[in-house]
Amino acid sequence: MLMLYCLSVSGFGKIKVVTSYGYIADITRRIGGDNVSVIALAAGGMDPHFITPKPSFIAKLRNADLLIINGGQLEIGWLPPVIQQANNPVINPGRAGFLSLMELVKPLDVHNEVSRAQGDVHPDGNPHIQLDPFHIPVFAKAIMERLCKLAPGKCEIFRENYTAFEKRWLEKIILWEQKLSPLKGRKVVEYHKLYDYFLQRYQIEAAGTLEPLPGIPPTSRHIAGIIDLIKKQNIALIIQDVYHSSRTARFIAGKTGIKVVIIPHDIGAVKEVTDIFSLFDEIVGRLAGS
Amino acid sequence: MNCKYIMIILGFFVLANTFHLPASQGLSLFYNSQESTASAAPFSQKKFLPNISFILDFSYVRRDLNQDLFNALEIPGFIHGHTHHDGHSHEVANASKGFNLNYGELVLSSVVDPYFDLFTAFHLSESSFEIEEAYIESRSLPYGFRIKLGKFLSGFGRLNSQHAHYWDFTDIPLVYKVFFGDHGLLEKGIQLNWVAPADFYLGLSIECLQGTNENSFGTGDFELIEAETGEVINVERVALPNTWTFSGKTSLDTGNLTILAGISYATGKTRLDHFTDEESPHGFSGDSSILGVDFTAKYLLGSYTYLALQGEYLYRYLRGSRFLVHEAGESPGSQKEQEEHEHEDALEVDSAPMVKKQAGFYSQSVFRFHRQWRLGARWDRLNKNDVTLAGTLLDLPGQLNRYSVMVDFSPTEFSRIRLQYNYNGYAFHEGERKKYREFVLQFNLAIGAHGAHAF
Repeated sequence: MLMLYCLSVSGFGKIKVVTSYGYIADITRRIGGDNVSVIALAAGGMDPHFITPKPSFIAKLRNADLLIINGGQLEIGWLPPVIQQANNPVINPGRAGFLSLMELVKPLDVHNEVSRAQGDVHPDGNPHIQLDPFHIPVFAKAIMERLCKLAPGKCEIFRENYTAFEKRWLEKIILWEQKLSPLKGRKVVEYHKLYDYFLQRYQIEAAGTLEPLPGIPPTSRHIAGIIDLIKKQNIALIIQDVYHSSRTARFIAGKTGIKVVIIPHDIGAVKEVTDIFSLFDEIVGRLAGS
Repeated sequence: MNCKYIMIILGFFVLANTFHLPASQGLSLFYNSQESTASAAPFSQKKFLPNISFILDFSYVRRDLNQDLFNALEIPGFIHGHTHHDGHSHEVANASKGFNLNYGELVLSSVVDPYFDLFTAFHLSESSFEIEEAYIESRSLPYGFRIKLGKFLSGFGRLNSQHAHYWDFTDIPLVYKVFFGDHGLLEKGIQLNWVAPADFYLGLSIECLQGTNENSFGTGDFELIEAETGEVINVERVALPNTWTFSGKTSLDTGNLTILAGISYATGKTRLDHFTDEESPHGFSGDSSILGVDFTAKYLLGSYTYLALQGEYLYRYLRGSRFLVHEAGESPGSQKEQEEHEHEDALEVDSAPMVKKQAGFYSQSVFRFHRQWRLGARWDRLNKNDVTLAGTLLDLPGQLNRYSVMVDFSPTEFSRIRLQYNYNGYAFHEGERKKYREFVLQFNLAIGAHGAHAF
C-alpha cells in the first residue's frame, strides 16, 4: 500500500499534506516548495481546541499522503473522529504518513496526575508549542526529514529549502530578541496559558490568567483577584487572544489603567499575519510597541 | 577477578562520559537511572488500558397527564401502548413523572492492533446491563474502505448513529420513535463504508443487518389458522440476515456555512408477533421499506457559537398480511376443528391484506449563543398515515404533532443541564386524542476518556 502511495507521489509529483493548523502548513510549504500541496484544516481565527470537525475534513484526509498535527492533545476534541472516518490508513498514528510535533520539544506544565477539577488540562503538557520561535526550526527539520522519507528523490531540494529557511529564521530571531529586550523581566497577565512558551523564551513572567482554570470562563471573584494582583505587582500588560471576547480584559484595563494587547497565535488570526514570519513579526511588533 | 576490574573500568568510563556530556543530557542520564525503580512492576500493562468512560443521564419530569394513562397511550397506525414486545429491558427515558434514572452508559474503546479498532457501549438501567453496541472496525483497508462488524447503531439517516447523550433534545424525534423505536435502528450486522477520492465529501454505506427491529422489521415465524376457511397459514421464519440499508452523504462548505445532506434506504421482511396482547391481539407478515432524506446546515459564528438547522423526512412503505386473532364464539364448522387437531397450538385468526404508507419529519434549529448556553426548537410531525386494510382506507388521524423547545447549559464539555418543554399532540387513548405538556430537566454527565464526536 505504501509502495502504491509512493508511486502516486512520484507519479503526480506532489505530496499531499494536510495539517491541523495554519502555522504547520506554512512551514511545510517552505520546505516542500512546489513538490507538496498543503491544506490546513483549522481556520486561524478559531480557538485551536474547539474546531468544528466538518465533513469536508474527511475528504481532505481521505486523499492525504501525510498528516502533520500539533499534538499534545490540542486536537483531541475534533481530529480523531475525522481521521477515523477518512478511511485512509496511510495517515494513521504510528505510520510514516503521520507526524506529531509536540514530541519534538520539551513541554511545559507536564502533569503526572490530572483531574478535570483543574479545568481543561493537558496531561502531556501545555500544547501551545508554536509560539516559541526556537521551536520553529525544530519543526521545519522534522518536516524536512519526513518529506525526505516519503519522497527520497526530492530530498536534496527539501534539504536546501530547510537550510535557507533556517538561515533566514535565525536572522529574524536575533532581530526579535533585540526588539523584545525592554520587556525582559516584566510581568504580564494572559487570558489563557496560550503564550507561555513565548513568554518563557523572552523571560517575560506570566503572572496570571483571566481564566480561573484552563478552559473555564472568567468569574467575577477571580477577576477581582486579578485586579488585586495587577495593582499589587507591577504588571505590564494583559495579553489576549483573538477568539475569546476581550470584554473582561478591557474591563480590567479600565479598572487598573494597564493596556490590553491582542496577540495572534496562528496564521490568519489577524489580517496582518499571512505566514510564519509575519506571525512572529506581528507578535513582537505588538508587544514591543505597547 | 578480571571481571571486577573490567566492571570498574567500564563504570568509570560511563561516569566520565556522563560528565563530558552537555549538562542537560548528563542530568537526564542520572534521572533515568533513578527512575528505573519503576521496574518493580515489570509486567504492568497499565499503559494499554482502553479508553473508559461513563455517562449518567438523570432527569426530573413534570407532565399534566395521569401516569397510567400515559403508559397506555398509543399512536394509531404506528404504536399501540408503551409496551415492549421483544422482552428486552431497555427502558424508555423520562417515562415516569418525578425522578428518572434514565441510563448509565459505560464505554470501552481502543485500538486492537494495527488492523482493528474495538468499541463497546454498555447500556445500564437500574436493573439491567446490556450490550448496546459492540463492534470491531477495520483501520487499514485501502482505497477508502472501512468495515464495521458487530452490533451497532445503523448509519441510516442523520440522527440514528448518534448516541442519546449527543442528541440536541432529550428525546428521539417522533418519526424515529414510530419507525425504529425509542433506541433507533440498532442491529447486529456488517457495514461497508466508502469515502470517495474527491475534493468534496462523499460517503457511501451498505449495511447487512439481522433486522430484528420490532417497529419495522422482525424475523419471527408463526402458525395460524384462518378462522373463516380453516386453512392453515404457515408464516415462515425470514431468511437471515433480514435487512439491508444503503446510504449516501455529501457535504459542502461555503465560508462559515457547512451543509450536510444525505439519503438513506432500508428494506427487509417484517414480522410482528403481538398475539399475546391483552387487547386485540394481532400479528403481521410482510415487507417494509423506509426511505429517508436528511439535511443539516451549520453556520459558525465563532469558536463557541453557531446556528444549526437540521431536518429529516422518513417515508415507510409496508405491505403484507395482517392477522387479527379471531374472537371466540364465532367458531366455524367441523372441517376447521379437524384441521385444528393437527395444529393444536395454532391460533385462529382473520387475515387481511394490509398496506401502510406512512411518513413524518422533524425540523429543528439550535442556536449556541454562548460557550455554555444553547437554545433549541423542534417541530415533529407525522404527516402521512394511510393504512389500507383489505382494500379499505382506514380512518386514522393523519396529522400528528409535537412541539419542543429546550435550553441547555454546559459548564464544560463533560456536563450538561437541559430544560426541555414538549407540547404533545400525537398521542391517543381509546380513539381519543390526549394532548399533554411536559417539562424535562435533564442532567447528563460524562467522566473518563470519552472520544470526541463527529460533525
